[in-house]
Amino acid sequence: MKPVDFDYVKPTTLAAAVDLLAQGNGSVKAVAGAQSLGPMLNLRLVQPELLVDVTAIPELLGTREEAERIVIGAGVTHARLEDGDTSERTQAVLAQIASGIAYRAVRNRGTIGGSLAHADPAADWLVCTTALGAELLLVGTAGQRTVSAAEFVVGGFETMLAPDELIVEVRVPRLSAGSRWGYYKLCRKRGEFADASAAVLVDDARGFYRCVIGATSGRPIVLDDSRPLSELAGAAAVAEALSPTALAGDAFAIQVHAAAVRRAVRAATA
Amino acid sequence: MSTASPNARLVSLTVNGRPVARLAAPRTHLADFLREGELLTGTHLGCEQGVCGACTLLLDGEPVRGCLAYAVACEGRAVTTIEGLDQDETAARLREAFTAEHALQCGFCTPGMLISARDVVERLPDADDARVRVEMSGNLCRCTGYVGIVKAIRRVLDDRKAG
Amino acid sequence: MFGVGARVRRKEDDRLLRGRGRFVADIALVGMRELAFVRSPVAHARILSFDIPEQVRRQVFTWQDLEPAGVRPIRAASGLPGFKVSEQPPLAADKVRFAGEPIAVTVAATRAEAEDIASQVIAEFDELPPNVDMLAAAAPGAPCVHEHWSDNIFLETRVGQSFEKDVAAAPVRISRSIRTQRQCIVPLEGKGLVAHWDRQAEQLVLYTATQMPHIVRSGLSECLGLPLEAIRVIAPDVGGGFGWKGLLQPEEVVAAWLCLHLGCPLRWMEDRREHLVAAANAREHHYEITAYADADGRLLGVDADAWVDAGAYSIYPFSACLEAAQVGSILPGPYDFPHYRCRTFSVCTNKPPIVPFRGVARANVCFAMEQIIDAIAAAVGREAWEVRLLNLVPPEKMPFDNITGKHFDSGDYPESLRRAVAGIDLASVRRRQLQGEPDGRLVGVGFATYCEQGAHGTAVYHGWGIPMVPGYEQVQARITADGGLELRAGIQSHGQGMETSFAQVAHEVLGIPLERIRLVHGDTGLTPYSTGTWGSRSMVMAGGAVATACRRLADRLRRIAAHLLQARLEDVTLSGGMLQSGQADITIAEIARTWYLAPQLLPADVDPGGLEITAGYKPKSDHGTFSYATHAAVVAVDAEVGLVEILDYLVVEDAGTMVNPAIVEGQIFGGVAQGIGTALYECSPYDDAGQPMASTLMDYLLPGFTEVPAIRIEHMETPSPYTEFGVKGLGEGGVIAPSAVLCNAINDALKARGAVVTDQPVTPARILAALRNARAEPPP
Repeated sequence: MKPVDFDYVKPTTLAAAVDLLAQGNGSVKAVAGAQSLGPMLNLRLVQPELLVDVTAIPELLGTREEAERIVIGAGVTHARLEDGDTSERTQAVLAQIASGIAYRAVRNRGTIGGSLAHADPAADWLVCTTALGAELLLVGTAGQRTVSAAEFVVGGFETMLAPDELIVEVRVPRLSAGSRWGYYKLCRKRGEFADASAAVLVDDARGFYRCVIGATSGRPIVLDDSRPLSELAGAAAVAEALSPTALAGDAFAIQVHAAAVRRAVRAATA
Repeated sequence: MSTASPNARLVSLTVNGRPVARLAAPRTHLADFLREGELLTGTHLGCEQGVCGACTLLLDGEPVRGCLAYAVACEGRAVTTIEGLDQDETAARLREAFTAEHALQCGFCTPGMLISARDVVERLPDADDARVRVEMSGNLCRCTGYVGIVKAIRRVLDDRKAG
Repeated sequence: MFGVGARVRRKEDDRLLRGRGRFVADIALVGMRELAFVRSPVAHARILSFDIPEQVRRQVFTWQDLEPAGVRPIRAASGLPGFKVSEQPPLAADKVRFAGEPIAVTVAATRAEAEDIASQVIAEFDELPPNVDMLAAAAPGAPCVHEHWSDNIFLETRVGQSFEKDVAAAPVRISRSIRTQRQCIVPLEGKGLVAHWDRQAEQLVLYTATQMPHIVRSGLSECLGLPLEAIRVIAPDVGGGFGWKGLLQPEEVVAAWLCLHLGCPLRWMEDRREHLVAAANAREHHYEITAYADADGRLLGVDADAWVDAGAYSIYPFSACLEAAQVGSILPGPYDFPHYRCRTFSVCTNKPPIVPFRGVARANVCFAMEQIIDAIAAAVGREAWEVRLLNLVPPEKMPFDNITGKHFDSGDYPESLRRAVAGIDLASVRRRQLQGEPDGRLVGVGFATYCEQGAHGTAVYHGWGIPMVPGYEQVQARITADGGLELRAGIQSHGQGMETSFAQVAHEVLGIPLERIRLVHGDTGLTPYSTGTWGSRSMVMAGGAVATACRRLADRLRRIAAHLLQARLEDVTLSGGMLQSGQADITIAEIARTWYLAPQLLPADVDPGGLEITAGYKPKSDHGTFSYATHAAVVAVDAEVGLVEILDYLVVEDAGTMVNPAIVEGQIFGGVAQGIGTALYECSPYDDAGQPMASTLMDYLLPGFTEVPAIRIEHMETPSPYTEFGVKGLGEGGVIAPSAVLCNAINDALKARGAVVTDQPVTPARILAALRNARAEPPP
């Protein structure tokens, strides 16, 4: 199948991009690598009048290291993160996550911002940036705001992005050198979307602990940070966490999500 | 390839080292642009869903899905298709290994397979078979069961190490 | 070195490795326009009306345009008594019978624009209750898919008699309900075609991605009312078939008519979504089997009812009943036992028609029968391979006529099993199971043995009464004036490497170098009639015809050589492309030059047919060949998440004499990979409304590099007594056993927890459900 006949612009400034988005009344789609949007366009599941290509906007393209965090432009590809400097703890974790996304040819085009904006519940960045405690810088015609990755997603394929807003940066707090990270996803087939996933960060030096369940039908679920990890990994805790979702009562889903949590915890505590 | 659209515009690319400028609607993906416009039919379309990898080609030297890259979004960039790898040394070694190891049957997945295999050989010279399989997992083959392809890539990796 | 048995490199490879093959999508004709099909969004409904915007009205065609022009529905009847005939208008007439059925076609300069128009065509439907599940559809009172039928059964067949009283005292009685899933075939290249009217030849020319160009031509002639000589069907390079390209498609009929009607070339390329939701599907069976055995595990009888979900229409040429009726005749597999009864039902449902997918019916019956064998073994407390060994036809009984009259030609079935048991190192797997895995996974080992009929003969197909019966397979062979060889065959090579293997056969006979031998195939204008490439037949049948033609050419060469060398005919030998008598010799090229350019030198009694010949071939037995194999696998089952890893996979196979071992192995590797897909991944589910749920390759999972292990193969090579060189058909074999082997291996792994899986694909959800059920009901 071929997409509908859309128009296309590639603005070179952030201001121009958000202006174009604002004019669109929802029939405008921002696009970077098109690795999530492309299949939907080709299948005509999305039928925009205008695509706004954000890959020429300088603010989206760089990665920079700050004292407290790594700042990743939303337009940075998975492959660039995969090939990043793995001697630095945070970047090593990001590289590990990136290397497990889909396939290299997809990672060469697909971007971290695009993946987050697409908000497929099964996607890697959604669950991982939430577990890492990342923040997103959103810019729209009315200005900019910072939101946590955890609150950014409101449901399956739904985010708090206004029609005229773009993700500009993903800000990942620097992990301590001794921090431990665990991420497990259950995929029936390598590179395809996960049936269950979980990510765990144990960062004693910063006092940051988080366990997140992904690949639910909706937003990633942050498990209560106050409980010990071993308790979080129990099937009862996972069943309870899934109870408000469409997966409630699904014996298979509860079982594999519980296993994912257990494995992520094991990886982070081994 | 759609050119009748009011949205059509001139797209300029370097294709296999040669400048190309052609009118294309923005909805035209790179594979269609090359196949229908340039008659470079070695880039095959197996799904147009970004899964099968048959349309894999090089964009500025990196493998990408031809069906998920719209030509208009590649303005000014360099595209290399299977036809552009005739003189490429790694590709030549892979072609030799593919035929020696019976790594192709119908040949439909083969161009995309070679593009990805070339990337693996050049990017990951130390890859073991398990890594080769992981790195190649974005290319589907329905004929060979992958056995010959893994052996062919192994052969080229080993040959390159041996010098 | 290069003849029969040589592992030579393929002649096809260079063009394909350089992206210079010519697949149907690569063909561009001046003025060519593109088609898109409008497909039914509902599974079962009456079409009330079409709403087509006026500005595109002339670019949209429906059955209302085709029928008055004389286009006829596709009709594939079987001569078997009781068969109910379906008629499939290539664009739905008054009723749609599956979601995805073509209801209109649009034409535009580009595919994208044709799709734009298609999206504006709206049909209004009066929806009817759909038949989604085959058992419900077969039950009395189900709404009829074809309203003039009395029920939804295309055909019921019966094999054998009731034998309950003969086995009343059997110590072992095993009953199983087994379900196999609906699959899509998914060659990497979808279907596609380019149709045009050749004004000079005054012919409709259809380039189409098909395995059987001559059969497509016959079908087009029937549907379009054109004489056969006015139609030429050409299969260019074809990107895999596996059965999906072995039928006449509605889209071919529509495009062919429309190109005549519009007077311009037309192209249609099936996209992946169309393939997954609207193309003919495969393999959806249901079995209720009871087997009886003695206390050692010796089979006493098998009693089975089998249902095949044949979809909405009978496809041309194989019909809707071939698969189910085949189940009845091959369910006994490679085993020898005294009692057998099987009823089969080809059920009509509101789903796409089914087409014979590589290993048709055999993969399913192997899955069912081999589960039964393992269950018997469990019941009698023996290793499953021991029970298999007890029941396999032993070599001293070959050739062997089995309980359904199948004539097994040759081989040592038990030896393939013994070698598999040794090769997979069963003892070490058993030790490993006792020790347990460091990562907690459960290890299991499974076996399956099968035999595979290939190169089915005339009598086998005559029995079906379908629109195609294979007879003598013909090949034309022509020595050119410079000593090259042209072969023309009506089969179609789409990955099987016949441009190479046929050249090897010709080289074996004539000694002409491979690079001077060229195969023309897949073009009705250039090749003798053939039913095409299907049923593991081309190497046996067309390869046999190549040998026959070349032998007859060799005889003519020798006669001319005898004259030119002034030698006695019986003294002239042909070897390495050279004809010799004593010290005198002459090359084939010199004889060819004489025939074409210096005929004055030829003997007076020279055969006027010259150096060109058409030879027909059939094996000495009309039953076809029987390859066989035992597959064995070791798996690790992750009981926490239900994932299965294949740790080892071994095939011990015997396909008779191998023409090219590399090609043989390639066929097996690829078949096993597809079988792994069937076993663990591939499924095309439908919801209660008859909507297909898998419309992308993100939903329909194909096995990839990381899902297929480094398969090992051990060869046995028992020639068939009935064929040229003793070759046997083997193209389908690899796909037959994997789902049985993996299911048995998974069950072997799960048995410690008392769990059993019986349905495929064996998904994580099914494995975990089996484990949960086992916990709920501890085994007795």
